[in-house]
Amino acid sequence: MFLAWSEIKRNKLRFLLITSILLLVSFLVFFLSGLANGLASMNREAVDNWDADAIVLTEESDKSLYQSSLDKDLADELGAKETAVVSQMGSIANNGDAKKNVLLFGINKEEFITPKVSEGDPTFYVQNGVVASDALKDDGFKIGDTLELSSSDTKLTIVGFTEKARFNAASILYMKLNDLQKIKFGESYEMNKDMVNAIIIKDSKWNELDIPKDTEIIKAETFIENLPGYTEQNLTVTYMIYFLFVISAAIVAIFLYVLTVQKISMFGLMKAQGISSSYLAKSVVAQTFILALIGVVLGFGLTLLAGSFLPSAVPVQFDLTAMLIYGLVLIAVSIAGAVISVWTIIRIDPLEAIGG
Amino acid sequence: MVLELRNAKKTFGEGNTLVEALKETNFLVERGELVAVIGPSGSGKSTFLTVAGGLQSPSEGQVMINGKELSQLNEKQRSKIRLQEIGFILQASNLVPFLTVDQQLELLNKVKKNNMSPVEKKQLYEDLGITKLHKKYPSDLSGGERQRVAIAKALFSNSSIILADEPTASLDSDRAFEVMELLQHETKSKQTATIVVTHDTRLMKYFDKVYKMTDGVLELDTTIYE
Repeated sequence: MFLAWSEIKRNKLRFLLITSILLLVSFLVFFLSGLANGLASMNREAVDNWDADAIVLTEESDKSLYQSSLDKDLADELGAKETAVVSQMGSIANNGDAKKNVLLFGINKEEFITPKVSEGDPTFYVQNGVVASDALKDDGFKIGDTLELSSSDTKLTIVGFTEKARFNAASILYMKLNDLQKIKFGESYEMNKDMVNAIIIKDSKWNELDIPKDTEIIKAETFIENLPGYTEQNLTVTYMIYFLFVISAAIVAIFLYVLTVQKISMFGLMKAQGISSSYLAKSVVAQTFILALIGVVLGFGLTLLAGSFLPSAVPVQFDLTAMLIYGLVLIAVSIAGAVISVWTIIRIDPLEAIGG
Repeated sequence: MVLELRNAKKTFGEGNTLVEALKETNFLVERGELVAVIGPSGSGKSTFLTVAGGLQSPSEGQVMINGKELSQLNEKQRSKIRLQEIGFILQASNLVPFLTVDQQLELLNKVKKNNMSPVEKKQLYEDLGITKLHKKYPSDLSGGERQRVAIAKALFSNSSIILADEPTASLDSDRAFEVMELLQHETKSKQTATIVVTHDTRLMKYFDKVYKMTDGVLELDTTIYE
């Protein structure tokens, strides 16, 4: 530590440069982790909020909510602890000022996925009243707004807002099942009114349930992973983060190696005087640790600072636990980057330094 | 006896390319002795210094430091002996560029015990005339000042052997004499064995013995006093 710190103090500019690179890399890693988290939330927060165990879909839908269609009476036949039916329809909602892509979710309000209303009337008191995702507030939607739909003449009214109600990057409008079925099926309502998209299950022993042949029951997490684009998006951002780990290890390795090579004769003289390789190697590792720690801590602060200035349209959502883990990984890979330098120091022949 | 070479020999290469850098050598320095090794460059002085200083093992024969046989030891063990027993004053400045004069000595406190006490250190600074330099970095020092700090470093560690390679090379006559007087004083008062490799014939009066190195052969030189 003594050598490490003395050298940093003496050569401030040199170490400031490498620290600033680590700062920028950690900033990018933290920001990407926030983005990954935010993007994931956009897709899954409604499902997470339901706190469901599994979901029943038709087998031919290939785990897609949109393509599945089954009879709602199946919910009672399953014998699960708790069930909830969902009928779904995509549309564009227009309040006169703003248009937004939304998902209409028709539900039975006595069932467990019924949203907790955070603002407005807790009951769907009027016909065609909807409880909307509060993300819509940022787009200019208000309680009492009358919404025109792109695919129907029926008008909806926002009676309340609920938190965490986005699914597959669209805001959900929860409404009474029957209201939705009328909009969805129009003239063929009578024939189709019992057809819903899925049955959501809350029962830890869901895999023991008896289901009809042409349906399948999947874990809630599996359902989310099969959302269009979800896994691809997640993997892309995750790979970017992993790649940044490799890049920071490489940057640190190159920088430290150049510094070490510059100091070979000095290390040689120190070794000639009997200072052990391990003491010198520890010093290089300690130095890396100090630089990485400063860089990561500053990057952390910069990320939070930048995050507070972001417009809400940017789907960044910081998860402190994930950031802490990524920060530690960054420090660890930086130290791994010091390995080449340590190896170089060990191989220095003190004899050559003396010119024997 | 502090440092002894018994039939020590150092060769490089094999067969036709075999070079005997140090021919069979017997050499002994006792405690309290100040010894010079002189000779032209390329005569094998450096090889002698590195073998005697435990930086490399002799090809044949033995090197004993304080009764410990060096040729049996690996680099790690020899490194320990160098740290504990030998103070080097090297031609190439052996100061760490990013440490102040004080920190150069502080570093020794970090890696080994039995160094000088703060009081002794203060006296050492005064003897060497570097008291005012203690907060300076090597790059702010003149060649002579750097050399004096290097000497301070070697003496600070209270080693039983001091190996000095041209310690007075970058000093003017007055300073050179002062440094030699200091080395002589330390050698006598601390009962260390001091070996100085030098070209400087002005200094011969300070040495108890003078060895001459010619083509890898080390011999006691008596002619120097004439």
